[in-house]
Amino acid sequence: MAGKSGRSINNVPESSIKRMIFSWEGILILIFIAVNIFCAMFSEFYNVSSLLRQMPVYLAEVFLMLPMAYILVLGEIDISVGSIVCLSATVCCIVCNMNAPFIVVVLTGLLVGTACGAVNGFILTKFTELPPMIVTLATQIIFRGIAEITLGSGGSITMSNLDGFNAIGGKVGQVPYILFLVVILAVVFAIILGKSTFGRRVYAIGTNRLTAYYSGVHVQKIRMIIYTVMGTVSGLCAIFLLSSSFGANTTTGNGFEMDAIAMAVFGGISSTGGKGNIAGGVIAAFIIVCLRVGLGQQNVHAQVILLIIGVLLIAAVALPNIIGQVRRAVKTK
Amino acid sequence: MSEYVLELKGITKIFPGVKALNNVQFQLKPGEVHALMGENGAGKSTFIKVITGVHKAEEGEMFLNGQKVDFKGPKDAQAAGIAAVYQHPTSYPHLTVAENIFMGHEIIKHKMIQWKAMNTEANKLLAQLDADFDATAEMGTLSVAQQQMVEIAKAMSTNAKIIILDEPTAALTRSESEKLYTLVDKLKEEGVSIIFISHRFEDMYRLASRVTVFRDSQYIGTYDVNEITNADLIKAMVGREIKDLFPKPEVKLGQEMLRVENLSRLGYFKDISFHIKAGEILGLTGLVGAGRTEVVEAVCGITRPDSGKVYLEGKEIHIKQPSDAMEKGIILLPEDRQKEGLIMSWGLGRNVTLPTISKYAKTGLNDEKTERDLAKKLLEEVDTKAVDIFQPASSLSGGNQQKVVVAKALSQEMKVVIMDEPTKGVDVGAKAEIYAIMGDLAKKGYAIILISSEMPEILGMADRIVVMCNGRKTGELGREEASQERILELAMEKSGGKEASE
Repeated sequence: MAGKSGRSINNVPESSIKRMIFSWEGILILIFIAVNIFCAMFSEFYNVSSLLRQMPVYLAEVFLMLPMAYILVLGEIDISVGSIVCLSATVCCIVCNMNAPFIVVVLTGLLVGTACGAVNGFILTKFTELPPMIVTLATQIIFRGIAEITLGSGGSITMSNLDGFNAIGGKVGQVPYILFLVVILAVVFAIILGKSTFGRRVYAIGTNRLTAYYSGVHVQKIRMIIYTVMGTVSGLCAIFLLSSSFGANTTTGNGFEMDAIAMAVFGGISSTGGKGNIAGGVIAAFIIVCLRVGLGQQNVHAQVILLIIGVLLIAAVALPNIIGQVRRAVKTK
Repeated sequence: MSEYVLELKGITKIFPGVKALNNVQFQLKPGEVHALMGENGAGKSTFIKVITGVHKAEEGEMFLNGQKVDFKGPKDAQAAGIAAVYQHPTSYPHLTVAENIFMGHEIIKHKMIQWKAMNTEANKLLAQLDADFDATAEMGTLSVAQQQMVEIAKAMSTNAKIIILDEPTAALTRSESEKLYTLVDKLKEEGVSIIFISHRFEDMYRLASRVTVFRDSQYIGTYDVNEITNADLIKAMVGREIKDLFPKPEVKLGQEMLRVENLSRLGYFKDISFHIKAGEILGLTGLVGAGRTEVVEAVCGITRPDSGKVYLEGKEIHIKQPSDAMEKGIILLPEDRQKEGLIMSWGLGRNVTLPTISKYAKTGLNDEKTERDLAKKLLEEVDTKAVDIFQPASSLSGGNQQKVVVAKALSQEMKVVIMDEPTKGVDVGAKAEIYAIMGDLAKKGYAIILISSEMPEILGMADRIVVMCNGRKTGELGREEASQERILELAMEKSGGKEASE
């Protein structure tokens, strides 16, 4: 071919250890340790077993962070997931109260979530000009509306048969089932995003959609899959939520989408797309979970905890910026 | 003492790690058009930014009408009567032409913008430039050429005495370029001095009286345009002789690869038919906006044609999206490298393997080792000037970016490669290399469709030339019968083609 100059191009990657230490995930691990030390000093009840005991309530939301990370990497957003959780939980309760077998209840929850996600995906891939923020805002209202209509005038529903939900709320030793599931799903989502061709294409779409399209990436198919999975996982979240609340009401799942987004962004997943990974999101999620458990033990008001998480989030977003500025300042000196 | 309106001496500009300009000089006579030439990365843009006060040089002096000046920022340069018009107009697409012209120096009375006065004033400027649009038109609705005119009007509105045109013809069609030439002549008559940056020799011969050449951040020389030969100028720019700019190989044509029959898309093109054989280079030309890109986009599934048939190796194919086309062996290397061709923030390797990642991923997981080896091999094959495969695509010059785009096409077995303006914004040295790659591909039996507005390129590389005008095919010329005049005649044909664009 034309390459007559014999120029050699290096293709040996530099060792990943150095990169890992200076990465955002490295910093997050330090914050995670710091938060745990802080919680242990702040609350005398804070230890591994109390953490494991009180964790499950907050873990259901960590599920949502996983597919949300994909959506953010696409450079998009889904703010309808809280409503999907509400609708799934409501329908689950109704089916459960009809004395359906537990497996049917679970499948119903997943199915409702999947259907809602597919609706989002369908609208967004058929009308590609529409901004995801607006579309999912609309479906947020619609899904919650349907849930509220279903709930009727009382606005809440309690389950009569708790056996199945008690069972999935169980533990192996001290470790709750849900923690296993979170870890397993996190690993699966991390591998797919970080190592698979699907993941590479997600990053490609998030960084430059046109180039991805011209390069033969099935942009719309991938978006459809991700939004649908987001719905399925919302259904899963609803089921585990029920295993601790045993009922649904009009406020079920309120603000979950924002918590999921917060975890992901705190974890270094850029909301403009193309950047970040699941590992960061998971560490960030556990920082928030630990903080909630620790502060909750000393009866710190839920609103104050929200405030602290908000401040952390801004700090997390601003920090890379500040670091960049300092670096530039040092370089030009 | 002030033989020159602008004189720069011993300018050195250092960026962290690189000397972007090394002791360069430049003199601009009053009322002259002075071309500034050099390969990409030679330091032209940095030099312009020094003149306009965007960058501050570490060393050197600048004289304006014999007076030493020291610009603190772009405002100072503007106040001194220096204005720059860039290749891609940096305008506000949703504002009107008048608002764009007077952005930053609006006509104000009692703290209120005087719209009427501004529009009148803007129209006056536009009339001077023979513009065919009104000051109240929205900027975004104008063509690139018209937007450039607005930029020039903006420069004039600040009473600029020195106007710098940075690759003004790069995005223009031939007739638009002609218009720009007349415009520059007019400005010259009004006593404005012009610095003109361009990769097109045509521009330089047509406009400039003198030319200054930079190479590798250094000043090479200033020449009278009438006295320097093309070959000498290229040698000055590239630092070596380019013997054959268009290395068109003699290739024995194989069987027919692609046949397009009566392809139509309402509002874009109508009844387009052509065919191409293995080893053939088919030139597709016409003025910008003639529908060339639209035709190949329809062939590759980026848009859907309303009617017409596409055959590959004699069999009819139905392509719905780019991935279908690629599976069948047709790939489009799009015109806009930065927006459509590459992911600029990604490493070169990942860019190269993006279309084919699933081929090496046996289990769905990426085989990074194979990818790296393949990327290295392909990038070396097209002779990319890169250090490693991990450096971002944005770190390469335009010509080398184009090579990466070509490498992308080579990562799989292709039959038809469609190159849309492959040498746009590419310097002459890299151009020759891209032509060489093109020739090699043809030799290997690829069928190549070359879309280009550059006449020498089409004439130099194509076996056959299809000319389009207003969405219609107006003619087809063999390599022997083709000439610049014949092509232009067909490209500007007034009759026909109206329907398609209605």
